[in-house]
Amino acid sequence: MMKALGSSRLSRRRFLTASASLGIGTIAAPYVARADDPTLRITGWGGKWGEIMKAEIGPAFESEFKCKLQTDSAFPYLPKLQASSRSAPIYDVLHTNSNEQWAAAEMGLVEPKIDPKLVPNLADVYPYAVSHKIVGVSIFTSAIGLGMRTDKGYGNITSWKELWDAKYNGVRGGYVIPVNSLGQAFLMMCGTLFGKGQTDLDAAYTALEKLKPIKIVDFTGAMEKMLLSGEVGLCVIHDSGIYRYDGQNQPTDFVSPSEGVLSLEQVLTITPGSKMKELANAYVNYMLRPEVQKRLAETVWYSPANKKVKLDAKYDAKLLTTPEKVSKLIQVDWKWYNERKDEIDQRVNRIFRA
Amino acid sequence: MQTTASPSLPAAQQAASARTPGPIRHYGRYLYLAINIAILVFLLAPIAIVVVFALNPTPFIQFPPVGVSLRWFEKFFASRDFMHALGFSLEVAVLTTLSATVLGASAALALARGNLPGTRLIVATMLSPLMLPAILTGLALFQTYVLLDVGRPTWGLVAGHTLVTLPYVVRTTLAVLHNFDTRLEEAARNLGASPLRTFFEVTLPLIKPGVLAGAIFAFIVSFDQFPVSLFLVSPGNETLPVTLFNYLKFDLDGTIGAASVVSIVLAFVVVIGLDRTVGLRSYVKL
Repeated sequence: MMKALGSSRLSRRRFLTASASLGIGTIAAPYVARADDPTLRITGWGGKWGEIMKAEIGPAFESEFKCKLQTDSAFPYLPKLQASSRSAPIYDVLHTNSNEQWAAAEMGLVEPKIDPKLVPNLADVYPYAVSHKIVGVSIFTSAIGLGMRTDKGYGNITSWKELWDAKYNGVRGGYVIPVNSLGQAFLMMCGTLFGKGQTDLDAAYTALEKLKPIKIVDFTGAMEKMLLSGEVGLCVIHDSGIYRYDGQNQPTDFVSPSEGVLSLEQVLTITPGSKMKELANAYVNYMLRPEVQKRLAETVWYSPANKKVKLDAKYDAKLLTTPEKVSKLIQVDWKWYNERKDEIDQRVNRIFRA
Repeated sequence: MQTTASPSLPAAQQAASARTPGPIRHYGRYLYLAINIAILVFLLAPIAIVVVFALNPTPFIQFPPVGVSLRWFEKFFASRDFMHALGFSLEVAVLTTLSATVLGASAALALARGNLPGTRLIVATMLSPLMLPAILTGLALFQTYVLLDVGRPTWGLVAGHTLVTLPYVVRTTLAVLHNFDTRLEEAARNLGASPLRTFFEVTLPLIKPGVLAGAIFAFIVSFDQFPVSLFLVSPGNETLPVTLFNYLKFDLDGTIGAASVVSIVLAFVVVIGLDRTVGLRSYVKL
């Protein structure tokens, strides 16, 4: 008995070996565990989108495709993708807005188009979702129009041009154009409204000069709060930024101007160096499924890209769910915009600095 | 020379004071008070606004507030994402404080005592993370990890935080070592103490104020660190500042205020906790 105990006594060497093994095991465990299931690395928004993706949509995908979904919701996505190796990119699927997708495509970081043979649901999307102004596929869109206070007696607003009315001096809202997609899209709209078209930058700059005084913010969330608080009475905003307060008796409403609404697309692309191409295509296809689209659309108030989606009446009445409504969408030529972004940024900074 | 010069200084001050008329002295005192109050208001106003925002029930900043509510605190503490981020931030801050304190204090000792060649250059290099925009440090580390193919592990984030907090510990410890009387160590050695005993019983207690001040800086800088974390956090393991940034892009409500209040309270708790456990007040004048 004594001998048996003695032989099992812990020697220093055995202790060190055991400790080292334990340490290596602890550090390596997550990697070993990860190696069992294929992992699809994607990007995604926070807020309500992130909540429902984490709680329902993501786990359902993982369970169906026997994989792990690793979602990076910490901005900025593009510099991280840029810094990672082309042959082993940090993401398999990039989810972001169209302007950033175009920048990524120009750098060869994402594939410009999705193969319809590998993503069958692509056959059911509205034409805008795969138009020549889209890299990858737009799975949802918001409509950028005007947000207004309904308790200030502004009357019936029907045109973008009413934003220039002097009665909104002091309560007009816009964005820091260099960092906000809505602001950038609005600049292009100014060219259309007062010039020869989206690319008429001189007309747009003149229009922006005349828009002052204007309260400008970085994030759309900040604009929502300024409208809710009454600090802003009329502003550029996307429909989901207004509709998300539906049922809360807020004195705000969304206006679809007669000239059309700008589209703010939620775009998915696949990275060329992804080792999970099959799974990446499966994910894009999954996100375009009518039931997934319906659930997300009714949670975050985004208009679904799939034509076959039938939303509940409340959502159907407000979102872009028919070809007629979708025809009001104006898509921005982000490739053209990105090529001139530095020049535009400098000019608008000069305008609003004053 | 010094013994004769010192008593003459208060005498000169007294003479100058006697020459200053009473009302001017009075106004000077008021001006001094006013400037101090203005500085205090400047420092505390943002905190007051954050507290008002956190306690106001409306989902936007409103002044004057329409009431007092704890709904944003409830939302903050009920959110799994925020709670995870808070716990993770604390974990990273504690690990960073430990590593930065050990490395920084050791480096400062080596620099002050080691007679190393190029000491000034080494000190400048160690302080260089303070000169570089932290966002570039974050990006550079991110690229390094990508090249090494290690992903974005927690130790990588701690290493990044250590890099930007190390200069604080080095600087504060060096400041204490600058006035350190080495004869005390020599006396201990002459009395037979081993180098290790001399370090723990003489050197460490004497440099403790600098090391502790550096450690507090390291904790607070790490806990609030945003630019470096932005690139180094991994999916599902975001720190509180990064989570707050992502949140406010979509929801700018009082939860942000509640989270800020919790952060401020935590910073106070750390300082008070250190005071209670190691008698901070006797070392550092706060």
